[in-house]
Amino acid sequence: MDMSAKSALPGTSTIARDDAVARFIANEKRTAQQRLIRNRLLALGFGLLVIAIWHISTEAGFVHRLIIPSPIDTFWATGRVMSAEYFWPNVGVTLSEIAWGFAIGLSSGVVFGVLVAMFDTVRATIYPYLVALQAPPKIVLAPIFVTWFGFDQPSKIAIAVVMSFFPMFLNTLTGLSSVDPNAVKLMRSLTAGRWKTFRYLLLPNALPIMMAGVKLCWTLAVLGVIVGEFVGASAGIGYLIYAMNFQLDIAGVFSLIILLSVFTLVIYQLIEWLESRIIFWKQL
Amino acid sequence: MGLIEGANLDKVYSTATGPLVALTNVSFTINEGEFISLVGPSGCGKSTLLSILGGLEQKTDGDLILAGQHHDAPRRDIGMMFQTSVLFPWRTIRQNVRLPGEILGLDKKQQADRTDELLDLVGLNGFGERFPGELSGGMRQRVALARLLAHDPRVLLMDEPFGALDEFTRETMNVELLRIWEKTGKTVVFVTHNIGEAVFLSDRIFVMTPRPGRLEGIVEVDLPRPRTTEVMRDPRYTEHVYDIRRMLGVDH
Ligand SMILES: Nc1ncnc2c1ncn2[C@@H]1O[C@H](COP(=O)(O)OP(=O)(O)O)[C@@H](O)[C@H]1O
Ligand SMILES: [Mg+2]
Repeated sequence: MDMSAKSALPGTSTIARDDAVARFIANEKRTAQQRLIRNRLLALGFGLLVIAIWHISTEAGFVHRLIIPSPIDTFWATGRVMSAEYFWPNVGVTLSEIAWGFAIGLSSGVVFGVLVAMFDTVRATIYPYLVALQAPPKIVLAPIFVTWFGFDQPSKIAIAVVMSFFPMFLNTLTGLSSVDPNAVKLMRSLTAGRWKTFRYLLLPNALPIMMAGVKLCWTLAVLGVIVGEFVGASAGIGYLIYAMNFQLDIAGVFSLIILLSVFTLVIYQLIEWLESRIIFWKQL
Repeated sequence: MGLIEGANLDKVYSTATGPLVALTNVSFTINEGEFISLVGPSGCGKSTLLSILGGLEQKTDGDLILAGQHHDAPRRDIGMMFQTSVLFPWRTIRQNVRLPGEILGLDKKQQADRTDELLDLVGLNGFGERFPGELSGGMRQRVALARLLAHDPRVLLMDEPFGALDEFTRETMNVELLRIWEKTGKTVVFVTHNIGEAVFLSDRIFVMTPRPGRLEGIVEVDLPRPRTTEVMRDPRYTEHVYDIRRMLGVDH
């Protein structure tokens, strides 16, 4: 750097000015950090407050401990549930149901979305029915599916598939259809056919909306399996919740709900992380 | 005989409210290497005519000949550019410029070299690894221009390519486009509703009027080449602008 260079302001050298800029930047950084810490503390504090109120109201007997167990009861119950020998086999049942339901719902949603978006005859043939089926709540099918497919895993998987199929189908279709008409014109002008247009333009363009569908699909697959296990099952987390609730082991129910929530959230976060990897670009 | 010949072209769209006549009885000849502009108010059928020239839309009636053959489908020797850059945000600038080559299956090595040359030509050397989201509107149109030239098409169809840019950027782009056109000798059909831009750029201007879209007249631009923004001070420039305004009936 040229030491003799003088700034426009008399008496302030370049060095002094650089110094001021550096101090300003450091200051900004510190403020941003402080804000982040403050926000974290606020959120944490609120959570602790809720737990404290929960604790006090159960300990003080405002609500019966059998109806709402205290945080400490729930904590011990979690340990008890997780170390019980029946726990892991039931977890295994539910996890495999969710995994199958999610995988089948997701892939069939993508396949049908692509077929309806890309082929006019397919669209004309099945789209009206898919739209009609999309409206009613799929949960009403749960009892019938249990009757049809029995008390074991297939009925739960079927419910999860039916519930998670639609968001994936609709988001795939919407994603493939919401494309800049000029981009399609560009592809056509380059003599690109259906397949090349799909591969180079439509699919990557649809990914952000499709990833939103994947998240919905995940949440609904979990929901479908648990509801299915409520309706009729002899194993699984939903079955355990139902059974413990019946035995008035509410602390056990709480701990299962917490464990299920943590699991669902972890996978959800994983999907979001995947999403940030897949969609690395900024929309124009 | 010209490179592109249109005779009595009609275009009727069928819409929910009945048939809509977008073009009626349009006839013209475009010679190889010519710079043609289509000028006219919104809805006079400029984009429709350009789409027909590109083989993307079918004429309803009339004859369209390109290089001695009937023309009704997209061809690799015709390139298109639009008002929006239509860059793919998931591709780097370099990958965007290489898109036509990839789709047409052109030689990879050759395309790589050509991409470097083109980025140079449009003044974006060093931006190859950036993504479109990081570039300004003017820079994106430069990339679109490079992509337009990537597979070396013979005819360039440009639909208001600088219409969304600010006045200063637009003028710079006009000068650059002329420089590139003079270097490459392409046949250009350039759509604009900016009369001054059309006069500055063109050899001939097709003046179009709406309801229904017609070719009102053709103006031969009598200005020397190569042109710089200096020609805007030429009395003939002003004369042409006023002629066209009169043809369009915008003088009150
Ligand atoms: N795909 C289409 N379907 C129906 N009408 C269209 C279509 N494209 C253009 N038009 C109509 O044709 C007329 C000319 O449109 P266009 O060629 O876009 O004009 P310009 O580019 O000069 O503004 C307008 O009335 C427009 O609404
Ligand atoms: Mg237009």
